[in-house]
Amino acid sequence: MNEMNIVPRHPPPPPPSPQPPPLPPTPVTFTGSRGEFIRLVTRGAALELVTAGFYRFWLATDIRRHLWANTLIDGDAAEYTGRGRELLIGFLFAMAILVPIYLVYFWIGIEVERFKEFASFPLILAFYAFGQFATYRARRYRLTRTVWRGVRFWMDGSGWAYAWRAVLWGFFVALTLGLALPWREAALERYKMRHSYYGDLQGKFTAKPSEFFKRGWWLWLAMPFALVLFPLFPFVYAQFKAIEWRWWLSGIRFGAVRVESALPRGAFTPLYWKVIGWYMLASVALAVYFAVATGIAAFISGGFDHAGGPEMFSKSIPLLVMGGIGYLALILSLNVVVRVYLLRDLWVTVLQHVQVHDIGAASDVAAKGDLATALGEGFADGLDVAGF
Amino acid sequence: MEDVSGEGTSRQESATAFYFDGSSSRRRVVRLVFGDALGIGEDGAGPALWTYDDIRQVDSPAGVLRVSCLSAPALARLEIRDAALSAELASRCARLGENRPDGRTVTKIVGWSVAAVASIVMVVLFAIPLAADRLAPLVPQALERRIGEASEVQIRAMFGKQVCDRPAGQAAYTKLLGKLREAAGLDTDVQSSVLSTEVPNAFALPGGKVYMFSGLLAKAENPDELAGVLAHELGHLKHHDNMRGLIYNGGTSFLIGLLFGDVTGSSALIFASRSLVTASYSREAEQNADSMTIEVMQKLGRSPRPMGELLYRITGKEGGRNLSILAGHPLTEDRLQRMSGEDRPASGPPLLTPEEWTALKAICGEAARK
Repeated sequence: MNEMNIVPRHPPPPPPSPQPPPLPPTPVTFTGSRGEFIRLVTRGAALELVTAGFYRFWLATDIRRHLWANTLIDGDAAEYTGRGRELLIGFLFAMAILVPIYLVYFWIGIEVERFKEFASFPLILAFYAFGQFATYRARRYRLTRTVWRGVRFWMDGSGWAYAWRAVLWGFFVALTLGLALPWREAALERYKMRHSYYGDLQGKFTAKPSEFFKRGWWLWLAMPFALVLFPLFPFVYAQFKAIEWRWWLSGIRFGAVRVESALPRGAFTPLYWKVIGWYMLASVALAVYFAVATGIAAFISGGFDHAGGPEMFSKSIPLLVMGGIGYLALILSLNVVVRVYLLRDLWVTVLQHVQVHDIGAASDVAAKGDLATALGEGFADGLDVAGF
Repeated sequence: MEDVSGEGTSRQESATAFYFDGSSSRRRVVRLVFGDALGIGEDGAGPALWTYDDIRQVDSPAGVLRVSCLSAPALARLEIRDAALSAELASRCARLGENRPDGRTVTKIVGWSVAAVASIVMVVLFAIPLAADRLAPLVPQALERRIGEASEVQIRAMFGKQVCDRPAGQAAYTKLLGKLREAAGLDTDVQSSVLSTEVPNAFALPGGKVYMFSGLLAKAENPDELAGVLAHELGHLKHHDNMRGLIYNGGTSFLIGLLFGDVTGSSALIFASRSLVTASYSREAEQNADSMTIEVMQKLGRSPRPMGELLYRITGKEGGRNLSILAGHPLTEDRLQRMSGEDRPASGPPLLTPEEWTALKAICGEAARK
């Protein structure tokens, strides 16, 4: 701006270097409109209610399509090619497989109850392993639906091999009271990334678990306190997630392409507090609504002759119906709040601090890889596990 | 549409777009030629030709028109960032927006979901009760007993492990049970014992085991009151109510869980609707078990009314206290009324002699007679 520069006009030329200077890193930009996303998830939440939850497959797809299509790397936007119908079919197939398993589980549960020593521990373990398998296969589905510059990402590797690694590392983490968590995550990410590809470019995960531990060591000390003093918990958790994201992103490689994240520790904290603020606000609104509804119900049933209080709630059908509606409204609005802050805003925050180095290595990659089915997503849905 | 091509080509000769051919990630700067088909021309290479009717829009950020072509490689993409050129292409592709989701897609999803919900509700209301009724008697005795053994562990954990078995009382109890069992038409697989606990209740477990709690015994004033309750529990055994309940509960929880599956935080709703449907099912089972009491007591020439009186003494008037559609039992006053309606003067001998009754009351020893 100012003509009067303190810095000399002509800086001394840099010493001549034998190699050309490295190209500047490429930022990743997000172009999506926040209003559009809010409309998308609000409409989606309403449709989820009308369809008793079946719309979830299409809503998840719409959210991904919006986020993917507005994420630009080196000027070119990604594309999500998955469809809600695939998720529904995957879910139905998963159910067809899970139902007999649940029946066997039920039968074994009866059998082991008679010999108390066995308990049902191995069963829980089996379900945990199955959940990990589902997580892996769900990631594979999402990755094969991710397209950039007309070339898709894809994955090979085995869901079961991953599941057993996850179980064994899980034991180790439990034995070390959570201290081994970075080592578990690094080992599992190494497995996932070395089986991930962009065209013929193979992925790799290079982040050191000790880095994670160094940046977040105090979290392990704070966690026991945060669990007791629960107002501290969102703060600690937000810091943990930010450190985890930064560490994870900075470890990602595809061929010579390097990702680097400079996400500050406190980047997610405002997001979590905003969600909590909305939650409080919604709870107050619900309390007011209940008070009004109780008044109306008392009026309908002919004044206050039979005393109100908690007993009244289990007695009056109009009040139960109104309570149900209020509860649903709360759940739906919180769903919208969580999706706006913890999906969209979190994603935008993450991207703001991401840079990609040597993107040139991805400028002429040959297409390769096949589509995976949505069965894994179906299992993940049926087992209520999630992962990215 | 056809004859504008000449004009189009001359106007768009210099307009450029980005093209990804689907086999490599190379971004090619191309010139578009609007002929009979869309020509995508790169310097030094023959143009790719895309039929207008095969061109479809795909996701893109705002301000960019991104299209694919059904007859080209699936991931080949053409990106136009110039608004005028986008409009030019859009005007030629009649089926551009055909696989974009629209209102019709959503209506279809909503319609099918409503149909699925209706079908699940029908299954919960009609098919599962029918399946439970038909399947429960077919469950092998051995399996039923195993389930019973599993729940016995839980009952004992909840209500203590102390069984009352003072010999004189036990003899009276066995005699009473034997009479009721024969009248109910059950075989000798039925076992029963008295558990020492203050709770005034009785249980029938799958596989033929009945637990009488000493709390209920203490409240009973004559053998007929106790016999009515025992006959009620035998009714549950005879009708396989435990197995039916198990199949019914398992089936409805599974289906209702499936229905509301993933709407986060809906577990309270699941719980509410589940307790509503299962409660009505269990009320029906209780009513049938009460019918067994009436049948058995009348066969033995005794009145079912004392059982109603015993229950009324324990619970008091129930109406108005809780929402009756959530209750697992019929209201006690209604049960008393029903039993009173079946009241007949005694035509058979007393079920136990006064000495036997005294011994039965003392089956847990002096400590339990508070």
